Amino acid sequence: MGVAFVAHCLLNQNSKTDGGASCPGVYSPAVDMLRSRGWRIEQMPCPELAFTGLNRFWGVREQYDTIAHRRHCRRIADAVATAIALRVEQGEEVVLIGVEGSPSMGVCITSSDATYGGRPTWPAGAPELAEGEGIYVEELRQALQARGIPLPRMMGVTTPLPDHDPEAERRALAALLDS
Amino acid sequence: MEGDHRSFRVALVADRYVNPPAGEFDGLEILGEAGWGVMQLPAEDYPVELAASMLSEVADQAEEFARHGYDVVVVGERRGLTEALTAVGMQLPDQVRPSTREELVEFLADRPAPTAAPSPG
Repeated sequence: MGVAFVAHCLLNQNSKTDGGASCPGVYSPAVDMLRSRGWRIEQMPCPELAFTGLNRFWGVREQYDTIAHRRHCRRIADAVATAIALRVEQGEEVVLIGVEGSPSMGVCITSSDATYGGRPTWPAGAPELAEGEGIYVEELRQALQARGIPLPRMMGVTTPLPDHDPEAERRALAALLDS
Repeated sequence: MEGDHRSFRVALVADRYVNPPAGEFDGLEILGEAGWGVMQLPAEDYPVELAASMLSEVADQAEEFARHGYDVVVVGERRGLTEALTAVGMQLPDQVRPSTREELVEFLADRPAPTAAPSPG
């Protein structure tokens, strides 16, 4: 069918912020659907893991929207954009699967609050969720545009969202792959 | 880690086990069923420079897991991986090059408990 560039944590829930791992290792609902439909899997790096480590706090876009973190995301995005360009040149169809609610990997929903900082007290599911892309997805989009590569169809899994509905996620992924 | 279901086990996995060619066994399925997280190594058809960049990212992240006591292993092989790990001060973890499903299952089953994992009970 084509190549699915997937967020790191779809294959490795160990990369999640403490409290965020929904299963031991591979988040199988999305991965299983992609593979059962013949999509090749290519895993993108986790922008947050290497930059702020395993003991990082849950964060919002504004905390990651720094020159240094954008430079870090840009370096990762440049490599991924080169890989996507290679697959497109090979005639492959490409999709991108991010993570909704993530300050880095959000496709339609990120997390945003300009006031968060200092000692963290806010719980998971707090109203920091906001429409928009994460920092890494923004940088990847720009890296693809700079190469003249069409933006792949994309969506994010919804496990971090308080209203996560596995069946709705499955339908959305099926619709993306079938479109 | 309340409500967190991570396994503290991470495998650096050659592409052929994530996207198995026709007729070869499915390593990702086995790793998933055994509760391992997967860090995919670059595809073999990537140019050297691109693969080196990707391996550098893999090494950065593998070092973070190893330093925190996660069990990190290598499944298969990838040219340039040892050099990338050396660059972040990490030796090549225990490695298996399984030619059968059973070899991989046995290797994973024999791993010790990760030091990062909470004690049972």
